[in-house]
Parts: sequence; structure tokens; C-alpha cells
Amino acid sequence: MTIMMKFKNHITALVAGSVFIFCPAGAQVAFGPVTGDAENGKQAYYDYGCYGCHGFNGIGRHNLANDVSGIMSNEALYLTFLRARADQNPLFPTQSMPNYAKESLSDEDALDIYAYIRSFKDDPPEVEDIPALKAILDAAKE
Amino acid sequence: MTKKTDQENGGISRRAFIGSSAAAGAASILPKGAAAAPQATASTVPVSLPPSPQQMAREVGDARPPTTFRAAVRPGSDLIVQVLRDLEIEYVASNPGSSFEGLQESIINYGEIPNVMPEFISAMHEESAVDMAHGYAKSEGRPICALVQGTIGLQHASMAIYQAYHGLAPMVILVGRDDKHFLQAHTADDVAGVVRSFTKWDAQPKTLKEALDDIHEAYRQAITPPCAPTVVVLDAEVQKEEAGDLEIPAYRPPVIPTITTAQADKIASGLLSAKNPRISVGRFRTPEGIRRAVELADLVGASVETKSPEGPMSFPQRHPLVGPGADGDADYELGLEVPGAQVSLNGPHLRTLTERDLTGINFGGIRPPVRPRQSPPGENDLMADAEASLPVIISAVQRQTDARTRKTIEQRTVRHGKVNHEARMDALREALEKKREGWDASPVSTARIYAELWPLIKDLDWCIGGPTRFSGMHHMDLWDHDRPYSYLGGHPAAALGYGLGAATGAALAARDRDRIVINVQTDGDLNYTPGSLWTAAHHKLPMLTVMHNNRAWHMELMYVQYMSGVRGRGHDRAHIGTTLRDPYIDYAKMAEGYGMKSEGPISDPNLLAAALARGVESVKNGEPYLIDVLTQPR
Ligand code: HEC
Ligand SMILES: Cc1ncc(C[n+]2csc(CCOP(=O)(O)OP(=O)(O)O)c2C)c(N)n1
Ligand SMILES: [Mg+2]
Repeated sequence: MTIMMKFKNHITALVAGSVFIFCPAGAQVAFGPVTGDAENGKQAYYDYGCYGCHGFNGIGRHNLANDVSGIMSNEALYLTFLRARADQNPLFPTQSMPNYAKESLSDEDALDIYAYIRSFKDDPPEVEDIPALKAILDAAKE
Repeated sequence: MTKKTDQENGGISRRAFIGSSAAAGAASILPKGAAAAPQATASTVPVSLPPSPQQMAREVGDARPPTTFRAAVRPGSDLIVQVLRDLEIEYVASNPGSSFEGLQESIINYGEIPNVMPEFISAMHEESAVDMAHGYAKSEGRPICALVQGTIGLQHASMAIYQAYHGLAPMVILVGRDDKHFLQAHTADDVAGVVRSFTKWDAQPKTLKEALDDIHEAYRQAITPPCAPTVVVLDAEVQKEEAGDLEIPAYRPPVIPTITTAQADKIASGLLSAKNPRISVGRFRTPEGIRRAVELADLVGASVETKSPEGPMSFPQRHPLVGPGADGDADYELGLEVPGAQVSLNGPHLRTLTERDLTGINFGGIRPPVRPRQSPPGENDLMADAEASLPVIISAVQRQTDARTRKTIEQRTVRHGKVNHEARMDALREALEKKREGWDASPVSTARIYAELWPLIKDLDWCIGGPTRFSGMHHMDLWDHDRPYSYLGGHPAAALGYGLGAATGAALAARDRDRIVINVQTDGDLNYTPGSLWTAAHHKLPMLTVMHNNRAWHMELMYVQYMSGVRGRGHDRAHIGTTLRDPYIDYAKMAEGYGMKSEGPISDPNLLAAALARGVESVKNGEPYLIDVLTQPR
């Protein structure tokens, strides 16, 4: 188990054990307040490269839109997560979530980003309502 | 042949040439104080004089060049072209060079119908020429030629050759060599040495007769497994000499070793006596291998695993036998170019070529201790080409099948068909749920590109020419890979600057076969050798390029982002050297500049489908098209 997996499990346990109901997709997470500025956050999300792995709108290699994992449920948890990523020297190039130390991403900027991420909402049409996807499904049925 | 002076050859004297250019060049080395002088000089003494009436007549083709010795009546290069024609080499992709003007002239002028089989294809870079041969080879399972200038053109070509070597792509690379008459900087004693570590075979023939034989051998070596690029270096003299009555040698195809009849009998009885046989199919050399594999699977009613969404020359994805099958775990498994089955047939691997690495560079991780590319052969791994062995297995199966087994097989086939269809529907429903994520996002989601392309091309004969990993490989779930060339696979050596050239080569194959090529093109990859845009426009190749324009070498950006996190010295500079910003590149304009129809950039996803429809329509009419789409990074 990597340090990060351990950490994530730890957070998961922490969240599940206290305030929030832990949820499979679709269930409700209780979200804490937002203190940052989403408008500033939009720029910071770009400048600090979050878009690179999470997409410009929170849909990407790892989705942040419609997030229900718990880490995004409150600011403190999110900040802890950002600061506690692996900071050991990897010899193999990796594209996993970087560590964001306080010295390189201030609490203020991080919380602005948090506010911006919280504004993400991906609400795509159902497959049945997207002609291209529906056509693929229908053709496969034959 | 002895060296003629320039006058004897009908040109201006070398001494006179150097004299005049030295005078012209003097202006640029005048001392600073004389800064105005060059202009004054330019207006009074023209650097280049207007052509004389004689020169003009020559220029417009009204006068023959002065000759002091007769051109060859039957130049050696005509015979070389005839050999290529007999081998049915469709194209020679080339960037021109003086070391093969003889051969080039023969390609474009020799024969009843000149410049057909082979046709001279203009490449803007030798790397592109080889990438074209690579794309063509993966699509058709046979070689075309790249023709490059020795030694410089070959050096330009070298990385692409390296990639083709890893890609098991058969091609014959012809290299011009002019050792005496032109530039010393362009010659070498051993021209092919620079690429020997990653080519399968090469020759530098001394005579025309040898050259013709060597082209045959290069062709045989290229198509004999393991398939790979081969090289023939052609001296200028050999191309230009009078062939007299030299006969063109007859071509003998290679004999590719197969398994024995006894081995085939054992495999046949394994397949026929099993309750639930399964066949895993990897990549064959040619479409013939796929035809045979389908025949075998149908004969024994085995469930089949295919690699078709991952690369070329593999079992059709939507064949009813493809999938998990109805009967759970297999009790007999045959691997065809897939190791590790109960019995696996694998053609010889590239590792057997390591002895060609005479320089000891140990190129490309084919040095086993670093990362073995294949598990060592198991007890039942037979080192034999699967494609060549299939006819022997099929005969054995036919011999051993009786009426009762046939009945069992028929029933099993129906069962597999049902279960595989259900499995496919489940997988598709799950995939579609993922694909609709970010459907309306701007910039455009990569899944949407593939989803909206499919209805436009599904009834056409199509081929995905370039790699798709960075753009999400959504075709794997959404499209039906049922042809040998449906998807030509990724960068075999993970070396960028390949997609456009490979797709252009696939489009060369497609042009006269009523097929279109789709190239979902990343921006970083395009910018190494974008010149193939012109090649596609010039030769009217049916290629639709859709940009996956994330304005970055995005993979590297993610690596640097992670590294910045590890070191904790700031994330806001990770874009330096990893992004294509300031200024953004306008790919529609770039294509337009090269003479290709284009549109974009498109960032509104609702505008995408109509643009794709225009693109497909254009390509169907033989006009390549580029659509610049601003996309999500991944
Ligand atoms: C190099 C890629 C990369 C970059 C850049 C990146 N992330 Fe991540 N991020 C990941 C990956 C991969 C995961 C998921 C798994 C993990 O924990 O590693 C993740 C997970 C997360 C999560 C947890 C989501 C969940 O599942 O609950 C949050 C929150 C997050 N990232 C925020 C950010 C923010 C904010 C930034 C920019 C300041 C950022 N990330 C930049 C790759 C990246
Ligand atoms: C010849 C070569 N040079 C450099 C690299 C390193 N490299 C790997 S991925 C990559 C960036 C790819 O950019 P792009 O083609 O735009 O794809 P993206 O990652 O942006 O989707 C680079 C430069 C390589 N693989 N090959
Ligand atoms: Mg890119």
C-alpha cells in the first residue's frame, strides 16, 4: 500500500466515522461552507495546473465535478489532502496527484480553487438523449 | 566511370561558379563603415544576370542539354524500377536528393505508364517518408519504399526507421550514394551503418546485377518474420550505367517456416476434443492471416480473444465468437502470435536480431536484462509463424472433424454468439455512461469527437491511421474494428512525430481502395513533421485529421507538475517548456498554408458534429481535411 492510499483510507474512515454518510455514486454528501472566491479560483485552478488532470470543468483523468468521495466535502479535509501528498523522490515519472505544499500554493489560493471546484456541475444528457450515443447503442442491439 | 569536368557535363565551370558567388558574397563581409555599399552595389551590378536566350531555351525545355557523352539507352535505374514494379511496390516516398536523380528520373519517366507502381510521393522530410511506409505497411501488411539521400537524408530518417523496427513494419529503404561527384559531406564508406542497429538487413551493392538481387533480398527479408525495415544503398554509377542486355532476375518469395503436420494434428485434436476451446489472436503479418484465423475459429467454434481495437492485422472485433464465450474457463487455449497459452505459435521475435547491433549501443531495450519484452518461451510455445502455420492446422482440423463433432460445434457457436452479444451490450452500456460525462463541456471532450464521428463513417470503409492513446482511445468501445486495418496502433517506440506521417501512409493505401483514413492528431506530435499535410493535399489523399488540440505536450506537463509537487518549489511554472501557448498555434491556418481544406478552432461542442460531417464529405471526395478542435487535456 502506498502512503497515499493509506492516507486516503484514513480520510475515508475519518469522514465515514463522523459527520458524513459515505456514499456510492448518486448518494448525498453533506458539504461544508465555502469561504474562498470562485472567480479568483478559476484563474488559480488554471495557473496551478489542476486543469491538467482534472479537466477544465472537473471532468478529466480524475473527475472532480459531482465529487462524492468526501475529500471535497469540507475545506479542512481538502487542504489536508493537498498538503499531504507523497513528496518522495519518484524515479519513475508519474501523473498522479502532486503534492501542493503551503509554500507553493497558499491557503488562500487553495481555498479559492476549492470554491471554484465546488461550482462544478456536470449534468450531461442521458445516453438516450444524445443522438450519437443512442445510435451506437441501437446499432449494437441488432 | 571517371569523373568528368563540369564543362564536359554541359554545366558552367566550377571555378567560374565559385568565382562569381565569391564576388556576390563579398558584399556581406564588407567592413561596417561601408554599410551602404552593398545596396549601391546591388543596384548597379546585378548579382544574378538575366538568362541568355540559350539558357532560356534550355529552361523552358526547348533545347536539349549539351552532351559530350550519350545518356544510357537502358539506364540501370530503369531496371531497378522494373524490379520494384514486379514486386508491386505501389509507392516510393521520398524527399529528392542528387544521389538518386538517376533513379528518380526512372521512376517518373520509365515504362509504358510511368510513375505508377511505383508512384513517386513527395515527402517533406525523410522521417515523414519512413512514417508513410510504416503506416502503409501496417495497413496493408506489405512494403513500399522510402528513398532517401545518403548520408544526410538517412540520418533524418533514422528515428522513424527505429520506430518502424519496433513496429515490425516491413519496408525497403533505398538510399542514394554519390561517392565521387558531388558533396563529400554526403557520402560514407558504409552508408547504412548509421541505422544498422535497428534495421534487419542491408546491402551496398557494387554492380547493377548485385543491386537488383539485393532489392529482392531486401524485400524478402522485410516480409519474413520478424518483419522489419531493410536497406539497400544504391551508388549513383549503378543507377546511371548502361545496363546493356542485363536480364532482370526472377523473384523467389521467401519460405516461411511453419509447424509440422504432426504438431498441427496435435493442435487440431486439442481444439476438437476440448469442451470449451479458446483462441487468442494477436497481430498477423498480412490480411491473409486474419482470413485464416477466422476460418479456423469458425471450423472449431472456439471463443476468441482479439487485439483488434489495439492494433492492426488482428481478428475482427464484432465476429460472434469474440468475447468471453458461453462456457466459462477454457479447457484448451491456442495462442496465435500471443504467448502463454496452452499452445502458442509465435513467429521469431526481434530479440533474435540483437546481433545486428554491431555498435554495442543496445538500442531500444531489446537488451533483455533491462526489461524483457516477452516472457520466455513456455513448454508449449512453438517458435513458428502463426499465419504460415494456419493452413496446416486448418487441414488437420478438416481431416479430424466428423459429423458428431460438427453438430457440437454448431451448437456451441450459437451459444457463444448469444453470450458474447450480451457481454458486448453490457460493456457498451457501461462505456456510454462514461462517454457522456462532460458531453457539453467546452473545450470539447475527447469522447465526443469519437462518438460523433462514428455515425458519419460507420457505413464507409475506414481506417484509423494514427495513434489514439492520448486522445482516449474511445474508438475501442464505440467503433467496430472489423478490418485488418481498422486501427493501426500506437507509437511502437513511443516516439513522437509519427501520427501524421503514419496516417498519410495509411491514406496512400486508402486512396485507390475507396477507403478513408481518420487521424485524431495531437498537437505536439503534429509539430515535428507537419509537412505531410502538404503531401496529403498534393497527392489528394483521403485523410480526415481532427486535432486533439490541448495546446500542450500534455503528458510531459503532468510529469513536471508532479515533480514540482515533490520538490515544493512552485507549480505555477510547470507550463514552461510543456505547453504550446504564447502564441497559440492556429492549425486550420497551418493546414490552409499547406493547401489543405480546414476549419476551426472549435471549442463549442455543439459545432463539432457539423464540422465533422463537412470533413468526412470532403475526404470522401478525395480532398483531405483538417478540423482544429480545442479539447480537454485528456
Ligand atoms: C498530475 C496530475 C494532477 C494534477 C496536476 C492535479 N491532480 Fe488532483 N488528482 C490527481 C489524481 C490522479 C487524483 C486521484 C487519485 C489520487 O488520490 O491520487 C487526484 C485527486 C484529487 C482530489 C481528490 C478527489 C476525490 O476523489 O475525492 C482532489 C480534491 C484534487 N485532486 C484536487 C486537485 C487540485 C486542487 C489540483 C490543483 C491545485 C490538482 N488536484 C492537480 C491528479 C492530479
Ligand atoms: C521524439 C520524442 N520526443 C519527445 C518525447 C517525449 N514525449 C512524450 S509525450 C510528449 C508530449 C506529447 O504531446 P502531444 O502529442 O500533444 O500529446 P498530449 O500529451 O498533449 O496529448 C513528449 C514530448 C517522445 N516520446 N518522443
Ligand atoms: Mg497535446
